[in-house]
Amino acid sequence: MQENYLSEAQQQIEMLRESAADFVGRNTDMKRLRERRGTLPGYETEHLRHMADLGWLGIVLPEAHGGLGLGFSELTVVLQELGKGLMADPLVPVAFAARVLQHGDNEALKQSLLPQVVDASLLPCVAWQEGLGGIETAAIETRVEADGSDLLLTGRKRFVASAAGAGGFVVSARGAAGCGLYWIGAQAAGVTVHHEQRADETPSGVLEFDRVRITPADVVSAAGPQGLAALDRALDEAMVLAGAEMLGVVEAVLQMALGYMRTRVQFGKPIGSFQALQHKATDLYVQQELVRAVLAEAIRVFDDAGTSATERALMASRFKARASDGGLRVAREVIQLHGAIGFTDEYDAGLYLKRALVLSAWLGNASAHRRRFAALQQEVAV
Amino acid sequence: MSDHFTSRDWNALDDDEFRHIAAAFFEQHVPRHLRHLSRRPRWAEVRDWYLTLSGHGWLVPNWPKEWGGMGLTQSKILVYLEELERSGAPRVMDQGLMNIGPLLIARGTDEQRRRFLPKILSGEHTWCQGYSEPNAGSDLASLRTEARIEGDEFVINGQKIWTSVAFDATHMFALVRTDKTVKKQAGISFVMIDMRQSGVTVRPIRNIAGHEELCEVFLDNVRTPVANMVGELNDGWNVAKALLGFERIWSGSPRQSMLALLRLQKLAQASGKVHDPVFADKFAQVTMDVLDSAAAYERFALIMRTGGSFGFEVSMLKIWATETCQRVTELMVDAAGDLGALSGDVDVDGEEMDILYPFLECRAFTIYGGSSQVQRNIVSKNVLDLPS
Repeated sequence: MQENYLSEAQQQIEMLRESAADFVGRNTDMKRLRERRGTLPGYETEHLRHMADLGWLGIVLPEAHGGLGLGFSELTVVLQELGKGLMADPLVPVAFAARVLQHGDNEALKQSLLPQVVDASLLPCVAWQEGLGGIETAAIETRVEADGSDLLLTGRKRFVASAAGAGGFVVSARGAAGCGLYWIGAQAAGVTVHHEQRADETPSGVLEFDRVRITPADVVSAAGPQGLAALDRALDEAMVLAGAEMLGVVEAVLQMALGYMRTRVQFGKPIGSFQALQHKATDLYVQQELVRAVLAEAIRVFDDAGTSATERALMASRFKARASDGGLRVAREVIQLHGAIGFTDEYDAGLYLKRALVLSAWLGNASAHRRRFAALQQEVAV
Repeated sequence: MSDHFTSRDWNALDDDEFRHIAAAFFEQHVPRHLRHLSRRPRWAEVRDWYLTLSGHGWLVPNWPKEWGGMGLTQSKILVYLEELERSGAPRVMDQGLMNIGPLLIARGTDEQRRRFLPKILSGEHTWCQGYSEPNAGSDLASLRTEARIEGDEFVINGQKIWTSVAFDATHMFALVRTDKTVKKQAGISFVMIDMRQSGVTVRPIRNIAGHEELCEVFLDNVRTPVANMVGELNDGWNVAKALLGFERIWSGSPRQSMLALLRLQKLAQASGKVHDPVFADKFAQVTMDVLDSAAAYERFALIMRTGGSFGFEVSMLKIWATETCQRVTELMVDAAGDLGALSGDVDVDGEEMDILYPFLECRAFTIYGGSSQVQRNIVSKNVLDLPS
């Protein structure tokens, strides 16, 4: 496709795309990625420094806090490219946490934390899920109890992406006045971090909090009926970001399959000449293009300050459902298109399938988002 | 006739302004009794509406002004069609408007343009498209209807099929074989035929939805002047391909699946199915499939609006839009349960609705205009660069 006119904003996006594609081109190392499996923190710390130098940790953060003050169109294009090289971590978990802080009402905390996020000297992540997971943010049992003017937080959080390298956590908890959000340093007394292993052998944090002290200065969002609003909003945004990374995964893995289909010969012909495989590949291409089209719509909605919380939630669920479902389908079927070689650990297709499994489930899989979408639509209709 | 809708420089308006005007025009002029029909009306029923459009200069959005069209840009043509669809306007005889008219303007001779275009505007000529044959469907280039030259005339023998509303057409544009000795695509010419002569026999074919829109057309020593050929002799394949510009995006528009979704919603509400969690999950899935179809359509429409171009990747639109439409109607039949076996208008707790019609009607969408399988062949070869 060709657009014959690029606005200044589009030119900036193209520059970011090129810079991210260049980063992936220079740094992709699947051997190193395999060696890193099962180790902490689950990403290349040297890459992270480069990303910070390029400004990527602060793309959507306000300039007042050292960020670039740009939008989702800019951040998603970087994530999409990094997704192609399986090197987007920890950008999405960090952006998620930074946005919770930003949407919260503790200005002093923003002043002190966000500039450290931008230069990667402190990585935050969000500890919001418990038990068996799910995308209902208020379904929590972690408690805070008053202790003078401080609070003591006790509970167990799970599915915390990028917890291993984090300098602190935004933690949701319930108290007498309702749910709220609290900042807890990773080194605080009473915090224990251990890890479960995700499908791609990167770590997923399990956090234990035992009467962890929270001073009033560390309240991100005070307990009350709106105590989780900052989390809800940032969660919708993070769903879009995770889906953008998924698009990159899909593009890379489908290209891999098409390349194989052009060159692998059976029955005296390239297998890509067989109609059964051509039609399967086309269906995967259709899914890829749907993810791309719905992402474009989601970017418009999330970059428009005038949209309502319900509009954003409907959009986020629709996009995450498509990205989760379409992305996983493409990565899964690509294994089949390769035949036996696709089933081996030494071939890269499996790495992409496992990343797709992670991204598909994280922040809600397609079934979870269909349910949420249906419930939201009912609300709108009433 | 002079009012707010009279011919002006529509392209000077922005798309939203034009959309408002178009919506208001159709709301004011589309006859009430012809709105939202669940069948294609006969020419006699819609001729007055056609002439109303023509009288206001609103009949052909896509022709230049010098030939009596509105001269709209591509993006405003889309707006026009979207608003026409939304208004529930009946489909008129549109092969002249959408296909042969633009083709003559682009590739016809001056004499052909002067002779045919005004009569399309006046409704004196109505057109049908003679492409498919009994043994040339997806493999259209294998067509065998033969035209041999006798003096300054073609003498044509053969059979066309799946010709929509041929019984209401005065003229047919057709692909005919003019050379049997060369590669099949290289021996085809594009001719215009007056149907009002002996030797032309039209036989309607009843479809599975019970309607008779499609026809067989038998051509037995039918004559047409060589001057009625469009383009050069044996270049008809390229002439026909040139027609497929606009159709490629419009055939992938989400309009039909959106309509089907509204019907499904109505059924779900009337039957109480909305409270069934299994149905709710499937309904959310098809709703998102339809909205995602609209997002994909919008992406191509945006490229068109900003003056960009696209190639064969647009085929993904038709695949997804038409197959989504089918899934919506399949869910409708499923949700209807026992009612899904009843034909015609059915009483659903006080609401009358035809449950099977949408299901049956949209079986055709994945067949005509390049079947889903042909579209997949196109994408594989031209977009995914897979070998043949």
